[in-house]
Amino acid sequence: MSDSTIKHHEESRDVTFRVHRFNPQVDSKPYFDDYTIKLEKGITVLRALNYIKEHVDSTLTFRAFCQAGICGSCAMRINSMSKLACTTQVWDELDKAREPGVIKIEPLRNLPHIKDLVVEMDPVVGKMKKYSNWVDSRMPEEQWGKKEFLVSEEEFQTYDKATDCILCASCVSECTILRAHKEYVSPVVLLRSYRMNADSRDGIHDQRLAGLVQDHGVWDCTHCYRCQETCVKNIPIMDAIHGIREDAIERRGTKDTSGARHAEAFMDDIEKKGKLVEATLPIRTNGIAWTLKNLLPMAVKMIIKRRTPPPPPLVKASKGIQSLRKEMKEMASHVTKDHEKKSGE
Amino acid sequence: MKRYAYYQSCINEAMTKEVDRSLDLWQHDLGIEMVKLHESVCCGGSNLDYVSPKQFALVNARNIALAEKQGLDLVVSCNTCLMTIRTAKKKLDESPALRAEVNEILKEEGLEYRGTSDVRHLLWVLIDDVGLDVIRKKVKTPLTKLRIAPFYGCHILRPSTVLGKDDPLEPTSLDLLLDALGAKTIPYEHKNRCCGFHTLLVAEEESLNVAAEALKEAMDEKADFIVTPCPLCHTVLDGYQAKALKHNGLKGAIPVYHLSEVVGLALGYSDRQLGIKRHIVTA
Repeated sequence: MSDSTIKHHEESRDVTFRVHRFNPQVDSKPYFDDYTIKLEKGITVLRALNYIKEHVDSTLTFRAFCQAGICGSCAMRINSMSKLACTTQVWDELDKAREPGVIKIEPLRNLPHIKDLVVEMDPVVGKMKKYSNWVDSRMPEEQWGKKEFLVSEEEFQTYDKATDCILCASCVSECTILRAHKEYVSPVVLLRSYRMNADSRDGIHDQRLAGLVQDHGVWDCTHCYRCQETCVKNIPIMDAIHGIREDAIERRGTKDTSGARHAEAFMDDIEKKGKLVEATLPIRTNGIAWTLKNLLPMAVKMIIKRRTPPPPPLVKASKGIQSLRKEMKEMASHVTKDHEKKSGE
Repeated sequence: MKRYAYYQSCINEAMTKEVDRSLDLWQHDLGIEMVKLHESVCCGGSNLDYVSPKQFALVNARNIALAEKQGLDLVVSCNTCLMTIRTAKKKLDESPALRAEVNEILKEEGLEYRGTSDVRHLLWVLIDDVGLDVIRKKVKTPLTKLRIAPFYGCHILRPSTVLGKDDPLEPTSLDLLLDALGAKTIPYEHKNRCCGFHTLLVAEEESLNVAAEALKEAMDEKADFIVTPCPLCHTVLDGYQAKALKHNGLKGAIPVYHLSEVVGLALGYSDRQLGIKRHIVTA
């Protein structure tokens, strides 16, 4: 039995909170303060931080409000993972601590830092504005307040989960691509965009979608699933991101963005060979000029090491490719019928 | 000898041939036999599902049905193929209507998706079927004195609703295997993070930044090399390494090994036999 497992069963013990501190008015760089307090089992990280602020150090700064996992204010990184302090048990975190008995508390990532555990939420709000994260009613203005705008239960089911979002920004903090480029749309804004685009009351679907397929938009997601896995409300955020992509391909085709062209290449290759033809994938995604500029130096190294994918004529088709083609053709006729049925409704 | 249906990932047939070459060398040493599925097709690589959800279900139902026909579990050596095929399996298992539609088409080829074969990563087979104790006993050249940075890759961990084998954010499986091979693994933040592969052709700069951060941490922690169970992660961390580091103003180099190569090294095979010399970054 490990040391931490024994501690997990203790009813009370000393716990050290190693808290990220930074006050831009006096500090030249961030540092950590250790606060060791005696706690009882069953207490949350937020209650522990409140205790520290009231009894140990009143200068410690963090955001919190509802204390019940509803408002999303107290998101912070606890033992390096973004989550709500008010729904996180100290005893659960003791098990995950790298240093026994020490829980590390840091501000969210990928957002400008204001003080201690407080970050600036304006970039998220700015992106919500940029991608029109609201229902822009398609009802003529003269009918407002006079007529009900009903949403069927069946329709609501398609975005029910997305409406659980409390804007805590945990997904923003954990996003791989946002960390690599601050202009990236971000998971929360994609989730909300998907939700608005699925709403039958909304009138700017195509305009919103046109924005989402631009640079730093929906195609830049790298499918790492960190947003979904750290979502404090267990929202399947990647389903929303894939939903936008599916919608974009259906309504806009596959020619206008590298992301859509890239995705289509998989479908083409499966139909033709049953296998991906990797050698021409960069060209089909980005064109010859891009490929030569970006990949030529690497291709030389790969040729020397004999790591280059075979040219298309040498990619041997999968055994049974004739049957597969027939099957995919038949499924394509099912898909066409589905579309006809959908547009007839 | 326990038998498995082996899914040949596109990348392992084209660019990272050393993955299957290594596995072929040692599979019988560990009492397992991988029966290659020559009729299987590309899984869609985490892309086909939004081009056409139904074609995605069809091709992967067919891939799994080929294994089911032989009464074997389907074993995969690429994280994204694993996640993609398991995603299709989940959809098929949850929807009798989709299953019926797909099976009606597959019938002509004498195939049927029944949901009887599991879809598993090679790493899981090594841990759960071969067993760490057996592996420990079979090790001929333990990887002692080496500090290894395990890089899990996303799609063997997340989404946990589809994978569910390891903790999606605090994984241990690869560490346990490397420990059985005699190596010391380093704790580092990037072990559960993304390599950037899936945006390489769509948002290259972002991908290079993502890869550079992982490489930098492994080098800062003085790891001897990185080990990954995914050939896509390997392609970025090895093939794009110089470009990613240069783009981020970083210097240095760190070799990246495949899971099947480190197992082979510990079982006594040479770099040359395993194809390690084919890597872009060599020790």
